[in-house]
Amino acid sequence: MSWQKIRSYTRVVALSFEMALRQNVADAFILFTIIVQPLIITILALLMLRDQGENYAIFVVIGSGMTGLWSSMLFISGNSINLERWTGTLESLVGSPTPIQVVVFGKSLANVLQSLFSMLGSYILVSLIFGFPIKILQPGLFIIAVIFTIISFVCFGLIMASLFVVNPDLQRWQNGLEFPIYILCGFLFPIAILPSWTTPLSYLLAPYWAAQALHGSSNGSMTIGDLSLALGMMAFFSFTYLALSGRLFRVMLRKARVDATLGMQ
Amino acid sequence: MNMIEINNLRRVYKATIGTLRRKTKEVVAVDDISFNVSAGELFGLLGPNGAGKTTVVKMLTTLLIPTSGTARIMGADVEKEAEKIRPKIGFIFGGERGLYWRLSAQDNLRYFASLYHVDPNVSKKRIEYLLELVGLEDRSKEKVEGYSRGMKQRLHIARALIHDPEVLFLDEPTIGLDPVGARKLREVIRNLQSEQKTILLTTHYMFEADALCQRIAVIDHGNIVALDTPEALKKLVKDLSVIEVEVFGVPEELFGRLREQPFVDNVAVENREQTQVLMVQTPRGSEAVPDLIALLDGVRIGKVTSREPTLEDAYVRLVGGET
Ligand SMILES: Nc1ncnc2c1ncn2[C@@H]1O[C@H](COP(=O)(O)OP(=O)(O)O)[C@@H](O)[C@H]1O
Ligand SMILES: [Mg+2]
Repeated sequence: MSWQKIRSYTRVVALSFEMALRQNVADAFILFTIIVQPLIITILALLMLRDQGENYAIFVVIGSGMTGLWSSMLFISGNSINLERWTGTLESLVGSPTPIQVVVFGKSLANVLQSLFSMLGSYILVSLIFGFPIKILQPGLFIIAVIFTIISFVCFGLIMASLFVVNPDLQRWQNGLEFPIYILCGFLFPIAILPSWTTPLSYLLAPYWAAQALHGSSNGSMTIGDLSLALGMMAFFSFTYLALSGRLFRVMLRKARVDATLGMQ
Repeated sequence: MNMIEINNLRRVYKATIGTLRRKTKEVVAVDDISFNVSAGELFGLLGPNGAGKTTVVKMLTTLLIPTSGTARIMGADVEKEAEKIRPKIGFIFGGERGLYWRLSAQDNLRYFASLYHVDPNVSKKRIEYLLELVGLEDRSKEKVEGYSRGMKQRLHIARALIHDPEVLFLDEPTIGLDPVGARKLREVIRNLQSEQKTILLTTHYMFEADALCQRIAVIDHGNIVALDTPEALKKLVKDLSVIEVEVFGVPEELFGRLREQPFVDNVAVENREQTQVLMVQTPRGSEAVPDLIALLDGVRIGKVTSREPTLEDAYVRLVGGET
């Protein structure tokens, strides 16, 4: 890739990011997904996990923050392609010289970063309003874990968007994917309480490793070895998603041009 | 040089019908179309709704893959070399959709400038120039959702021009506009031509094609039924005259009966407020009036006039009365 192309694509990512944020702040559904719903989950979790020992407050903050991250990924990034289809802009995007994954990357980045506000909101609620002491015990490792989490979620967003390019009906599956992932990935409960046959399934999901890394580094229970494993898995999945999404987009866009699904009938 | 070259282009859609027992039905949207457009030409694709105009434009703008046949834009194949074509063309599909309504006109243009890799130093001036060109400079900071339909459609034109493309596709740019808005937009299109752009315009208004285009292809049911200059198309009907009969409610079957008459070449009907006007094309001129009146026995008749044929009549003759 030429230097000039990298510069143009960086600009597209920056502008897609900016425009996504500008549009999202006016969207009540999005505000609900990233702020209100995680706060409700925070309160429920606080009540349910009350007798889990002293570190449970931070566990709740991270866990409910992650539910916001996942839901916004699932609904906002997934729907963004459908939304473009409905507003008629998908054709304008595909017909431009920029590969659409560059646009999706910028939009997903905006979605993931804005959904970190879920964690912030949950933190404010738990610590300032309910008055629980919250301390991140391994702040350095925690920040690394956050960065890896962002990257792996953005890459996952690419896969989801590519599937939506070709199949608008995918939306029906979205609701069904929301809570199972909360549970399988151990956002709010350790997966040890699940039946053992689901464990391999959890290992295959990048959000599981993100939850491990975030929970572990924040409550100080994590060794460098555990963290390396979790970060390594996230890096591996991110790379796989990235490589896969390039191919998927190529195949899906061609199929959409054959099946006439870029526009709306 | 030919900027657009189309050979035996065809596109079939598979449509699913029925919800319980799903069946697929094939719709031939574009049957067999060939034509060329040369550099700097403003070429019109004229046809009634459903004729296949949008499908042609979508194939030419790399958004749909042809079922068979080939199309080349500046020498590049629309199916296999889409990446070469996309930076060089601009396109709009008529109507209000296709813009980000929650953003301002300026932000829309800024965004598309980045998608088309327009240098940020250039794009600032370009955006200013385009906003002025389409007459939106005063309201460019407002959100698009508050714009009138005409303003949105003019913003589309600015969007399509952001990277100064060599070939422009305008699919029914004036659809749904009031006469004033449509006239303003045609003015913009006419100005583009002085910039030496190659333009393919589609419309279902004959007078629009006549006013703007150097050559017109008339398309119906996915095929080209005539391709010529507006003047030459008018000659198609020069030996006919048109008798207009004002009527108050005509039964459907009368059209068929009229068309069967040996002295009648074609019949179109135009609905006005209280009345309908039958436009009967005939080689016999006003001599045919008495026979015509006799056929309309039992129908309330108003004014009857005879006139020279127009381009509109040529169009009616080519695609039948269903304009
Ligand atoms: N995506 C689609 N699936 C099935 N049929 C379609 C689709 N798009 C258009 N058609 C059909 O193809 C024909 C031509 O449509 P179109 O190209 O939109 O015509 P025009 O632009 O001249 O009005 C019409 O019969 C229309 O119903
Ligand atoms: Mg159309």
